[in-house]
Amino acid sequence: MTPSNEDRIAYLAGEDVTSLPTDEVAALDALRAELGAAATWEEPPGELEDQVVMAVSRAAAEEPGVEDGVAERGTAASQERGPQRASSPSWWSRLRARIPLRGPALALSLSLPVAAVAAVVLVLATNSGNGTAPLQFAMVVQGTPLAPGAHGSATLTKTTSGWRIQLSARGLPRREGKDFYQAWLKNAAGILVPVGTFNDARRVTLWSGVPVTKFRTLTVTQQVANGDPKSSGRKVLIGTIR
Amino acid sequence: MYREYGRLVFAVALRALGDRGLAEEVTQQCFVKAWRASAALDENRELGPWLVAITRRTAIDVYRRESLRTGAPLEAVAPDDPALMTSPPSAEALYETWEVRQAVGELPDDEREVVRLQHFAGMTHGQIADQLGVAVGTVKSRSFRAHKRLATALGHLKGETG
Repeated sequence: MTPSNEDRIAYLAGEDVTSLPTDEVAALDALRAELGAAATWEEPPGELEDQVVMAVSRAAAEEPGVEDGVAERGTAASQERGPQRASSPSWWSRLRARIPLRGPALALSLSLPVAAVAAVVLVLATNSGNGTAPLQFAMVVQGTPLAPGAHGSATLTKTTSGWRIQLSARGLPRREGKDFYQAWLKNAAGILVPVGTFNDARRVTLWSGVPVTKFRTLTVTQQVANGDPKSSGRKVLIGTIR
Repeated sequence: MYREYGRLVFAVALRALGDRGLAEEVTQQCFVKAWRASAALDENRELGPWLVAITRRTAIDVYRRESLRTGAPLEAVAPDDPALMTSPPSAEALYETWEVRQAVGELPDDEREVVRLQHFAGMTHGQIADQLGVAVGTVKSRSFRAHKRLATALGHLKGETG
C-alpha cells in the first residue's frame, strides 16, 4: 500500500503507522529524536547576547590598523552588496548599532600588556536616563602573572538588591575542596569589598552591596579556606571601569 | 546577527557538547570567528551551513581541551562530566539540529508548545490537554498542524500536501 503524507505526518506525531518504507521510517525516527532532544528546546541565557557583543567588540578593538573594525566591515559589505538579502555581511552593521560607539555613553580604553600584568578594559555604559533600562556596565578582564592565559568579561547591572556582576572568564582551572576563587571590588583608596566565592569562572554571578561607580576595580584571587577572610593577594583576573 | 542566529548556534553547540556552559563558550567563540571571517565570506554562500561548520570546529577544539583535563579517578567523575562525552556529532547531524531548531522556532506558539510537551516532555495528548487546559481534540488538531508544518519544512512529505 502506498503511504500517504497523512501517514508520514501521523508517524511523525507518534502514531503507529505500518505503511511506511524502512528508509522513510528511519528518517522520521531521526527527526523525532531531534524533536525530543534538549538542544532543540533549551534557550541560551539572556546575558549571552551581551557576552557575544563584548567578545566581538573586543576582537574588533584588537584588530590592527582599523579604528572601528566593526563599522568598516559593515560599510564595505554594504557597498558590495547587491539586492537586499538578510544573509549578507551587512548584518555586521546591525552589530555596530548594538554597540554605542559615539557620545558620552561609551568610554573605550585599551592598554595592551607589555609586562605580564594586564588590565584591559572595554566599557559599555547603558544609561537608564529614561528609566526604561537598568544602569549597566561591561568590562573586559585579563589575566595576571599567576594566570597569563586567563581572560573574559563581566557585565555589572544595577538592581534593587545591589549590583549584579556576571563574570565569564576562561583560562582558569577549577578550584575545589579548600581551594576556591574570590572576587573583590576595590575603590581608589584601596578598600576591598568581597563580592563572592566560586569554583569555576566560566559563568559566575556575583553580588555587590557597594556601587561599582565608586569601587571600580574587579579582581579575582586564589584563596584557601584557612580561617583568614582577607585577600590572599594572589590575583588571577583584573578589570577596571574607567 | 546574534538575534537572528544565536539560538541556532547555541542549539548546535549544545547538541555537539551536551553542556550548557561549554555551549555558551562555543557560541561566543563562533560569533567572533564568524566576524573575523566575514570579510572573506562569499555573500552568495548560505549562512546556516557556514555557521554550523564554524560551531562544529570550535566545539571539537573545546571537546579536545576538556578531554585533556586531568582530575579525579574515572570512577569519581560525574556521568555528565564533559570529559566523558563522546566525540561531537558529524557536520550533517549538526546541520539537522540547526534545521529542526529553525523549523520549531517558526511554529505558532500554541503548536510549538504541543510539540515540546509531546516529544521533549514525553506527554500523551490527554496529559497535554490537562497541562494546557484545553480539550484533547484541540491538542490533536494542534499536533497534526504542527507536525504537518515540520514535515513540510524539513522535506519529509512527497508530492501535493493535503
